[in-house]
Amino acid sequence: MKDFSYTQMAGRFLKTSGLRRSDNERVNMKRRDFLLSAGASAVGGTLFPHVFEPLFAAPPRPHAVWVENGEPAVLLTAALKEMGGMGSFISRGDVVVVKPNVGWDRAPQFAATTNPDLVAALVQECLTAGAKTVKVFDRTCNNPLRCYTNSQIEEKAKSAGADVTHIRENRFVTKAINGETVKEWPVYRDYLEADKVINVPIAKHHSLCRVTLGMKNLMGVMGGNRGDIHNGFTRKIVDISRTILPTLTIIDAYRILTANGPVGGNLAHVKHPRTLIISPCLVSADYLALDLFGLKVDQVDVVADALKHGLNKFDSKTLNVKRLRLS
Amino acid sequence: MAKLRRVVQIVFLAFFVSLFLIARYPYSGNVEADLFLRFSPLIPLFHFLQDFSLSLVLWPALIILVATPFLGRFFCGWICPLGTTIDAAGRLIASPSNRVSDRWEKLRFLKFALLVGCLLLALFSVHVWGYLDPLSIFNRALTVVFYPLGTLFADQAMLAATKVEFLETPVFFLYDLFKTHIMPEMQAHSQQLFWIALFIGAILGAEKLSRRFWCRNICPAGAWLGFLSQFRMFERIVGEACPVCNKCQTECKMNAIPRGDVKHTNKAECIDCFNCGAVCPPKVNAITYRWRWKPYHTPVDFTRRQLVRTTAGSAVALGLLSVGLINRDAKDRQVRPPGALPEDLFADKCIRCQECVRICASNGGCLQPDGIRTTVLDLWLPAAVMREGYCEFNCNLCGLVCPTDAIMPLALETKQHTPIGLAHFDKDLCIPYAQNSDCIVCEEHCPTADKAIKFELKPATLRDGGIRIVKYPYVIRDLCIGCGICETKCPLPGQAGIFVTTENQRRAGAPALPPAPAQASPYG
Repeated sequence: MKDFSYTQMAGRFLKTSGLRRSDNERVNMKRRDFLLSAGASAVGGTLFPHVFEPLFAAPPRPHAVWVENGEPAVLLTAALKEMGGMGSFISRGDVVVVKPNVGWDRAPQFAATTNPDLVAALVQECLTAGAKTVKVFDRTCNNPLRCYTNSQIEEKAKSAGADVTHIRENRFVTKAINGETVKEWPVYRDYLEADKVINVPIAKHHSLCRVTLGMKNLMGVMGGNRGDIHNGFTRKIVDISRTILPTLTIIDAYRILTANGPVGGNLAHVKHPRTLIISPCLVSADYLALDLFGLKVDQVDVVADALKHGLNKFDSKTLNVKRLRLS
Repeated sequence: MAKLRRVVQIVFLAFFVSLFLIARYPYSGNVEADLFLRFSPLIPLFHFLQDFSLSLVLWPALIILVATPFLGRFFCGWICPLGTTIDAAGRLIASPSNRVSDRWEKLRFLKFALLVGCLLLALFSVHVWGYLDPLSIFNRALTVVFYPLGTLFADQAMLAATKVEFLETPVFFLYDLFKTHIMPEMQAHSQQLFWIALFIGAILGAEKLSRRFWCRNICPAGAWLGFLSQFRMFERIVGEACPVCNKCQTECKMNAIPRGDVKHTNKAECIDCFNCGAVCPPKVNAITYRWRWKPYHTPVDFTRRQLVRTTAGSAVALGLLSVGLINRDAKDRQVRPPGALPEDLFADKCIRCQECVRICASNGGCLQPDGIRTTVLDLWLPAAVMREGYCEFNCNLCGLVCPTDAIMPLALETKQHTPIGLAHFDKDLCIPYAQNSDCIVCEEHCPTADKAIKFELKPATLRDGGIRIVKYPYVIRDLCIGCGICETKCPLPGQAGIFVTTENQRRAGAPALPPAPAQASPYG
């Protein structure tokens, strides 16, 4: 944590010293500015070794990256760069499952399903990083053919090189959960057998759990009567999620659905934060995404419960988040 | 000629089956999937009785009707997919020759009796002919019996093959191909399967009694075409060389060559199969086919006495249908597809072909052939069984493929705002009400742009005296379109805690409902 605060301080100094300003501004630099920057440089100079030494040693990877203001593919590239590239999550020859939300028969602009361009870009990143195959699937709520088609995920992920298949009912295996409320549950075999799993939910309003994010998105690999999970939802979803944690969670907040979720259907409820949150920790990603909706963690039982039960890899209080705003 | 006929039969069967297969999402409508149902020669006849008009949409049937007085029942022999299926079944189970099956000849009148009976009932706006329409029977059997059965076998066989490691990739490739183009996304399950299977089974099984038993004795479409071909001009001519070996007589598919008079043809029965010419010994080759401008006439096998009896029987049938008690309890669960005409008109127009069920079945089976719910004539009308499947919000396909416009085509936008029913909570079952704990799966799935199911937070006193805030769902009448996804997805194991009734339904052609009286919602 010490390293991080130094870097941040350095950033602040650079900002105040005017060094980051555009050339135009620097031409018009006033005397007062000059004095200020001179002073700052002096202080900066004395701090120099302390600030830059840690930078030469490999910078520690943030726990999560929050990128905003960009197109889905651009957001992803920027976020992965901060995370040390896709190569730090995926090894050559891995079978990777990318699990988007394809749950509903809706066009992408309705923000009921994960952004297809993001899924396509992600598939490409995985393949570039050396993945052997990238599988994309989701157990849909509406008719699967319609969902796969109208969400545009099938088409775009396929052309990016993914293996896009419908859920095959005979490929669920009963997985021991041994949670507080759930003892076992059928889970999709391809998901369990994958070397790496990338969970790509879209951030949406949901009336049962306020918002649906990474944890709820994992319901798409669960078999059985999923309606049963809704009764005592929080405990059950946390129980099951614990056993099937993904390698990486990428929350698509390019568009978010703020009401009438999770199906949506009204463009007036769609907001465009043009944001992406990435974290190797499912719960931390969800925790951060609450900001999108202006929610606090105690308002969202699922996240609160997951934190309480230690599902998180990182402490939410000392979470090291790299925030980027692209221009 | 017989060879050509066989090829044409197979081509038409393949054409009809491919039309059946394209009746699924994504359905472009460039080729109308219901086209083959409009080949039915009965539809123009009965529609004409209904409103004295002939719709050009029925052009395939009209062409057939115009050609029949000249060519005879070529439709039965060359085109009818049920006829071709019957021929195939006859081969499989070794249909007897006419020497054996001659004794059924006296049943011939039955098809005319059925046709006349159907016509008489239709005059009183009771339409039962759809049950016996050959195209309708074919499509019904395909939708409810053969297609699901084929899917099941193909599905299970392929999935079993994927268990073998080296087969996994190629078989899954094949499987996906099948799933996208041939099999439905989900296995279709139909109610009324037993009766519809029995119906088609009896038709095909009757081949054991005689060849084309159905076409000879029962089919009202055959009777109608036979009636039209009494004077047909395309005739079978038997030359002087004929040694009267009777081969053509015993091998005739329809027993249309009178015993002891091989030189004549019963024009009302002959289906132009040309088997007679094919079995005529090559050395003799006495049979030729020619146009004759002065054709001879063969009357239909239907006496005046039979006509009188049929009329009396029809009157009794009509009376019985009118005095039966209509089960009112079941009336509100007869949810019809969006765009369906008002109930009486709908039941008149619908030929029970199950084309709407077919295109809906790709959805997992919301529309089902209905049972005898309120009256006998409800049988096999499409009804939405929401517990099995729901009406997909972004889908309007059933209306696009109805061959008789019993279901009017609706634009998607219109369909999304046309209520087919209304959802009601059964609070004794619904989890939040009955168990005081959260669920609201129904609310989650509700597809309208402003959810028709909303909920209010209310404290519930638990048995141990504790208080819990529970989300209690309720339906907003003005927003609900009765799609029934709430009923389908209700997590209760049996009966759902929410169900759809015909309440608030809006039928096509019916005047729009007056707006519900404005009343302040108790929930704001």
